[in-house]
Amino acid sequence: MSGANVKKGPSSGVMEWIGSACRFATDRNDFRRNLLVNLGLFAAGVWVARNLSDFDLMSPQPVT
Amino acid sequence: MGSVLAASSPNPPPPASGGGAAAAPGLTVPPGFGMPPVSPVIPSTGAASGKEQEAESSLPNPGAFEECHRKCKEVFPMQMEGVRLVVNKGLSNHFQVNHTVLLSTTGDSTYRFGATYVGTKQMGPAEFFPVMVGDMDNSGSLNAQIIHQVTSRIRSKLAFQTQQHKFVNWQGDAEIKGEDFTATMTLGNPDVLVGSGIVIAHYLQSITPALALGGELVYHRRPGEEGTVMSFVGRYTGSNYIATLTLGSAGAHASYYHKANEQLQLGVEFEGSTRMQDTSVSFGYQLDVPKANLLFKGSVDSNWVVGATLEKKLLPLPLSLVLCTFLNHRKNKFQCGFGITIG
Repeated sequence: MSGANVKKGPSSGVMEWIGSACRFATDRNDFRRNLLVNLGLFAAGVWVARNLSDFDLMSPQPVT
Repeated sequence: MGSVLAASSPNPPPPASGGGAAAAPGLTVPPGFGMPPVSPVIPSTGAASGKEQEAESSLPNPGAFEECHRKCKEVFPMQMEGVRLVVNKGLSNHFQVNHTVLLSTTGDSTYRFGATYVGTKQMGPAEFFPVMVGDMDNSGSLNAQIIHQVTSRIRSKLAFQTQQHKFVNWQGDAEIKGEDFTATMTLGNPDVLVGSGIVIAHYLQSITPALALGGELVYHRRPGEEGTVMSFVGRYTGSNYIATLTLGSAGAHASYYHKANEQLQLGVEFEGSTRMQDTSVSFGYQLDVPKANLLFKGSVDSNWVVGATLEKKLLPLPLSLVLCTFLNHRKNKFQCGFGITIG
């Protein structure tokens, strides 16, 4: 009995943690959640600006 | 007319708000105004060329405090609604008038008459002082600004704004541009009789040729209430990018400007307000195709607002066409604007 309870303990703890993380990630009214999401979006925007903007619009079209 | 055009602001800032209990950092500039560009300060005295002085003078002037985030903000499209017709007419090298008719579906349609005078005191290439800019609309609301370069290092500015007959905003400031620093003191809406007013102090110092650090102190006072707001700013300038961060008790503001090539510029902005408990991120880009006389700006932000403006010069006619569209997907709202500028 005690062994079964020990086995259920860690898995239930992990499930609870996953559940709270999902609730945190989907709660639009949470200021900390919005802050983390927007900081991540800002970092992603900076990465896109630095790495995916090296195309030249005025270069001649390739001949097919 | 190059000197007069240099004095006018291409992107009018948002309308100024009335003085509140807790003033936001920095007073707003009357719509349609902006500071003319300032050339780097030339040392006025013939100082000895010591090694220490040479090392100090290698640090450039960091520019104005308000300019820190401007490069990034200029990439984003400006929201416009309704139909706008602007006619600019230069009467001489020193004087220009403009007529603006705005037809709006959401607010009142207005007519605005503006005039710009540029003086004869030359402080640099295409920089003449004093500069006087003013405009008045059909209801009698006035916006006026006077900028004068008092000495080679000191610039002063007076700004007034009225709503019909009532003064809502009056401020004066003095800016000192040193070798490697800029200091500004602004006095806003002073009222000696009531005992209210706002004092803003800015300081920006070049630490290295790429790094500039500074701070802002806002002191506001009215009967029975006074307070201060402080913030710090850091700006790092790279070969083709500028990263700026402002941190204060009111919130945080981070911006990243990247110049990919001659045609493409990108900007990313993060704003967070502790008072409003809200944060937002915006991503914008600007596409400049001079061969087609075309300027396109687009943006998307975390509030599900997508916007774009298209500006096309209809050469050889002195006409410029502006189309603007903004969609707010969260609120299911659509806004469209159309403008023509003549002259």
